[in-house]
Amino acid sequence: MPVSEALVQAKIPQDLVKDLGVESLSRTHAQAFAQAFLKNSIRQHRHHEMKDMLKRKALILGYARPKKDKSKRNSKKAKGLNARQKRERKIFQIKPEHQRYELFLPLHELWRQYVIDLCGGLKPTSNPQLVQQKLLKADFHGAIITVVRSKCPSYVGTTGILVQEFKHIFKIITKENKLKVIPKRNSVFAVEVNGFVSHIYGSKFEQRASERSAKKFKVRGTIDL
Amino acid sequence: MALQLKDKDAYQRLNYLYQAAHCVLSQSPENVELARFYCFTQRTIARRLVLRQDPSVKRTLCKKCCSLLIPGVTASTRQRRKNSRTRFTVVRCLSCGQSKTFLNDPDHCLWVDQPEAQLEQQKQPDPGPSIQKQPKNTKPDVSSKPSAAQSTAST
Ligand SMILES: [Zn+2]
Repeated sequence: MPVSEALVQAKIPQDLVKDLGVESLSRTHAQAFAQAFLKNSIRQHRHHEMKDMLKRKALILGYARPKKDKSKRNSKKAKGLNARQKRERKIFQIKPEHQRYELFLPLHELWRQYVIDLCGGLKPTSNPQLVQQKLLKADFHGAIITVVRSKCPSYVGTTGILVQEFKHIFKIITKENKLKVIPKRNSVFAVEVNGFVSHIYGSKFEQRASERSAKKFKVRGTIDL
Repeated sequence: MALQLKDKDAYQRLNYLYQAAHCVLSQSPENVELARFYCFTQRTIARRLVLRQDPSVKRTLCKKCCSLLIPGVTASTRQRRKNSRTRFTVVRCLSCGQSKTFLNDPDHCLWVDQPEAQLEQQKQPDPGPSIQKQPKNTKPDVSSKPSAAQSTAST
């Protein structure tokens, strides 16, 4: 490691730790942060843009400055993206380099704490029905789920951390660092927390993650895969 | 009572999603997509159930693309000045370019910390600690419950 890099990665002095109320990150975290920070701070595309602009400028003959009196006022206000822009920008797609199982283990740990807290301790004496009621409205991102039964036999036994929940599919990441897409319909999933195993009937769960918290479930219905 | 409990579950879920987004970004700072997905889910839940989120949470979410704004990682923070006196903090989302502007005003008081906001939710059991933070010179014009509580506390 060059000397300058060592300087950048130096620990924060003790007296500053107390004054600022911050702590040094662990080595790997610090490196990941530094890389992301540098990548975001340095603008490589600027140079390209400039060249491009110069090239084109020679071609355009009747060049008029675009009027920007009205558009400037509007641009300050945030407008959401529409569906096409969302698709083009791939705003929810996880890049392949982040599809690593060990990166999601802290998320799973956080999820366990969340569920235990939600169910009020989750001791062996807890009422299973109450726990199920809570889990019905809970969030499942970060849970380790397993396909127990399915109409398609090749899904059975797949297990991994649930990363994204969409309307019709679960995206899970397996121990082999593979991102798998599993349809909810016609499958039964198992979620385990502290010895409690609850089964999720995927066909009953076919809605977006956010819609479930507002929806009322029927107590008993016919369940067939 | 039952209503209060139901909201508590939802708030716990929002809290979890917000923390999950932070957790993802701390693990891999460039994985903006997943963090954004969690924040997006968080926002939709809050909208569906009509839950109010704290300004400190709202200020760290991009209004346009829903990413979590962390200075240096997903957002840039700059100081800008309009004239000699007024200065702004501009937080710009690095993935979509949307920026938020905050006026640097040390005397700024959030609506939730103001006495009038407490009037709205009088039924809430404990408006205690936030009252003491309010500046002394502002007096609620109607004889409100919080001010009465304050006077009894002082005597
Ligand atoms: Zn944005």
